[in-house]
Amino acid sequence: MNTHKQLLYVVAAMLFAGFFLWATNSALANETGLPHNMVKITGQEDFIHIWTLGAEGIGDEQDKLVTVDVNPNSTQYGKVVNAVSVGGRNEAHHMGFTFDRRYLWAATLDTSKIFIFDIHTDPAHPKLIRTITDFVARSGGVVGAHTVMPVKDHMLITGLSNNRDHGGRSAVVEYTADGKYIATYWMPTDDNLQGAQKTGKYADGYNYDVRALPRLDAMFTSSFTGWSNYMMDFGKMLKDEEAMKRFGNTFVVWRLSDRKPLKIFDVPGAPLEIRVAINPAHDYAFTAATLTSKLWLIYHDKEGAWQAKEVGDIGDPSKVPLPVAFTISSDDRLLWVTTFMDGNVRTYNIEDPFHPVQVYEKHIGPQVNMVSTSWDGKRLYFTSSLLSKWDKKGPDNAQFIKSFEWNGKELKERFAIDFTKEKLGRPHEMKFSSYALYGKL
Amino acid sequence: MTSNQRQPKISRPRLSLCTLLILLTALLVVPVTGSDVTRGPGDVKTGYETNTYETRSISVLNRKGAPADLMRVLQSAPRGLPPVPVPKDNPMTKQKVMLGRKLFFDRRLSLNETMSCAMCHIPEQGFTNNELATAVGIEGRTVRRNAPTIYNVAYFSHIFHDGRETRLEYQVWQPMLNVNEMANPSFGFVVEKLRHFPDYKGLFESAFAGRGPGIETIGMAIAAYERTIVSGNSAFDSWYFGKDESALSESAQRGFRLFSGKAGCMACHVIKEDYALFTDDAFHNTGLGWRFSAGEDQAEIPVQVAPGVKIMVPKKVIDSVGNPPPSDLGRYEVTQDPADRWRYKTPILRNVALTAPYMHNGVFGTLKDVVSFYNKGGIPNPGLDPSIRPLGLTDDEMADIIAFLQSLTGDNVETLVRDAFAAPIGDRR
Repeated sequence: MNTHKQLLYVVAAMLFAGFFLWATNSALANETGLPHNMVKITGQEDFIHIWTLGAEGIGDEQDKLVTVDVNPNSTQYGKVVNAVSVGGRNEAHHMGFTFDRRYLWAATLDTSKIFIFDIHTDPAHPKLIRTITDFVARSGGVVGAHTVMPVKDHMLITGLSNNRDHGGRSAVVEYTADGKYIATYWMPTDDNLQGAQKTGKYADGYNYDVRALPRLDAMFTSSFTGWSNYMMDFGKMLKDEEAMKRFGNTFVVWRLSDRKPLKIFDVPGAPLEIRVAINPAHDYAFTAATLTSKLWLIYHDKEGAWQAKEVGDIGDPSKVPLPVAFTISSDDRLLWVTTFMDGNVRTYNIEDPFHPVQVYEKHIGPQVNMVSTSWDGKRLYFTSSLLSKWDKKGPDNAQFIKSFEWNGKELKERFAIDFTKEKLGRPHEMKFSSYALYGKL
Repeated sequence: MTSNQRQPKISRPRLSLCTLLILLTALLVVPVTGSDVTRGPGDVKTGYETNTYETRSISVLNRKGAPADLMRVLQSAPRGLPPVPVPKDNPMTKQKVMLGRKLFFDRRLSLNETMSCAMCHIPEQGFTNNELATAVGIEGRTVRRNAPTIYNVAYFSHIFHDGRETRLEYQVWQPMLNVNEMANPSFGFVVEKLRHFPDYKGLFESAFAGRGPGIETIGMAIAAYERTIVSGNSAFDSWYFGKDESALSESAQRGFRLFSGKAGCMACHVIKEDYALFTDDAFHNTGLGWRFSAGEDQAEIPVQVAPGVKIMVPKKVIDSVGNPPPSDLGRYEVTQDPADRWRYKTPILRNVALTAPYMHNGVFGTLKDVVSFYNKGGIPNPGLDPSIRPLGLTDDEMADIIAFLQSLTGDNVETLVRDAFAAPIGDRR
């Protein structure tokens, strides 16, 4: 082997080691709730991909993945640079990267189709490479594909409903990252707790979000409602006494390694999103019950057992502000939670997770739903749409993405895009990408 | 506006001894296992209004099927029911019924392949939907009325709450084509789909002497299945027609005497000499439709946000997230006769204990709500049916009437529901 070749191997080895260290270090940071051990964007994100619901009477009326350039150094900053229509209104909702972050699985609550996009080849122009159309049949009747969470080379997908009654009993479904169905894990119900401990009065079998703390071999799921409710006109549902009884009131702790439910906690009022603490010394996660406007902490106690505790109100619960999405900063110090009805974001200091203290509040728009933070906590992005039939009607049906800068004291708006004016639809979940992540610069 | 209207209130109901007893009774009569999976939603919500609510959920995997001989009811109708009427141009055959059952549960028969007939007519929920006051169609679109049960639909001469359809064979196509139900764009769209589904290969041809899928054969097959959902031979039938004195509780017997006497229910819910359909097949104004269209709005609406927790929410807040509900003028929409405004069809009462919520708009969640409504004389309005008047029933008398209504559940419910569970659910593969 000549000297040149040896040098090349050494340089290549150093570059690989450098990349590995960078990836490992960046895992300490958070980027809007991605799995801890997934590679993160540590610097400036270049693009945001927004899973956007088609709206009747707006543009081509189809669901689409909209890409916005968010790098201030770009000439396209704050502009829509790409939109991929996927056909139909499928109730686009949440998305998840494969563990290598090269592919984005975009899930849907109505048709339960999952659209898989290649992000890494050209982050500015994601390409739809495959659509899983038989999720319901394959899974044994799970309807409403929601959260997509990678676990190594597999994907866990929460379902929200079922094909028997369109109610709330559902399951977690496992696929390989290349799209092969593996298994269905039904939520524990009273007649089949599957060995789980029912710690309170409820074991409803409902489902919503999923998150994991792999170092504790723990997985968490929350609970929302079934197809009939989440697809229904919101005003109609609020007046329907029977429908309002069909909301989840449970939070389940699972063993991640074999997907076995361990403990079912009572968390009344539809606990939706789950966010786990980032610091390895922090053995806890938060969830927010949307109908009761309560923040809950799920934590490991001194004996190493999981517990759930209500730790505070979000706004005035008697006014039903509807906390719908939240994120926590990478240093586990701040929690940002949006409330759909008043269109506000509230910031809580959670340094003492048992006693969150509200430190800031800002009005974002007539309605607001998703919030995402950059890993350094300096940039926050908000979108407006909750569900196609739950969004506000009339002039308050503002559909937007808004970008803000957080200077430690207040949010300052940097840009906003009107999705109705742009004929795009209802923007929902956001995911970040960057050229640096895929070695394009 | 008063300060009370501006400040929503949280109400936490207090349990009276009476309520507690009712709840305890409900807990006793709704077991978690066994045949319960065939009688009600899998996640029981009885008592959800109270702090004492506990789940009694059943896994969807416990919906285990057992095919039944659905043709039996054609040979001999259950006690209390007349022979099942079968049109001469659509004779019943096993192949046709089985094809109709397959179609009934096929979610692919909607534009985006999410809705089947059975998504609104859920077998274990009384072949209606116990979980919704009014139905929800494709993409969550609003359907303005309660999904009626298909139990004993074979006997209907008027179909739908406004009676606008005359035959099951025709009725089948309305939900399939309605833009707010299954939203298929055309007859041909459905026919072509079925022609190309591999799992339907030869089924139509076998059931219809060589004829393939078409407007007529699709309607005939589904209608044939629906005609087999016949349920009778209830405890009441054994007592009334079978002369078995022990078949009916004393409370239910008292309830029947009130039903046919003091309360006057039988004026519309007719019992004949040798059978009982409990309907006069006519249309009546109870005031519920009138109140919806012409009555005053409430300033605040109670919203259940968790077990035992209700919040009074200003109507303007609810209106901000809801489209105005579509109008509903009842039978008038068919006849254009002003006298028919807000008149709706008298429902059959068989299996009524299984088919909550009640009335054309699903406004009442329990039989107690319904009986109380009639006891108060309905809602006064210019077209109120003259037979509806304050009844002066005591609480005990109302309880007896409810016991009677609960005695109308047929003895073959589990058989029919288990058979439905055995049907394949059509999803895209």
